[in-house]
Amino acid sequence: MITLVTGGSGSGKSVFAENQLVSCGEGRRIYIATMYPFDEESHRRIARHRDMRAGKGFETIERYTNLKDLKVPKGAYVLLECMSNLVANEMFQEDGAGENTVEEVLEGVLALENQARHLFIVTNEIFSDGVEYDLETRRYQNYLGTINWEIGKLASRVTEVVYGIPIDQKNSIETERERLK
Amino acid sequence: MELIIGGAFQGQLEYGKEKHPEISWVSGKTCSLEELYQAEGVCDFHEFIKSQLKENGDCSHLAEDLIAANDNLVIVSNEVGYGVVPIDAFERAYREAVGRVCTKLAAHSSKVTRVICGIGMVIKDA
Repeated sequence: MITLVTGGSGSGKSVFAENQLVSCGEGRRIYIATMYPFDEESHRRIARHRDMRAGKGFETIERYTNLKDLKVPKGAYVLLECMSNLVANEMFQEDGAGENTVEEVLEGVLALENQARHLFIVTNEIFSDGVEYDLETRRYQNYLGTINWEIGKLASRVTEVVYGIPIDQKNSIETERERLK
Repeated sequence: MELIIGGAFQGQLEYGKEKHPEISWVSGKTCSLEELYQAEGVCDFHEFIKSQLKENGDCSHLAEDLIAANDNLVIVSNEVGYGVVPIDAFERAYREAVGRVCTKLAAHSSKVTRVICGIGMVIKDA
């Protein structure tokens, strides 16, 4: 089962995803960190996220590319944080998937879903500023956008977090619960 | 406290004025912190965050200070965090600051409305 959590910059989407995962109950909690620590700001961001999830019982795996060969404990609750960094790594890092980013990442998502009890994926809304970017940046938007809607199809729940307020764009978990009532 | 948000030019101020015809407004582009503490309504609040960030390099206590000083404020702000993360460090910090400040204000607000095409959707009504 997949829950996709999206939102803008500073919207509280990560905290929401972490808390949703924790509320699933006991079990191993795996945090896949995709931000590559290349400068001081990224170190700061990573530290901030580490503080945010401290005490929530996560085991952290740093993974910057090649999600599809990653092994996680069977039946664990898994949080992938976040898709926008993973896609940038695959596109721009030397050992990344380059032009095959979309296929590689989606294969990775399916592989993780197969191992996890519940896979939470945090992604990012970077599509609405109306700026015509250079070719590379547009290609990045295209890849991330395509991956987002492909995961949206697979996911049981897609939630947009607006300033900490969750707005479900899709929730077949609730629909199923309603049906069984 | 009430928060009304939306993308650029979505009619969020007009929506706020329609819902609160009795109050007077200041603009986040021009008002001082003291004026904000006394105001009934503030529009372009994202601009206020930007000028605070420029002046002080930090906005991390703005939400708490505002809640303590002026709990009845109606806040109208643009959402600015839905684009590609900017290369410029200040622009990046600005978008994140608007997100963080508004997330705290939304948690405290009794009502949060998101306006698109002039139409308000209440996303929180505590």
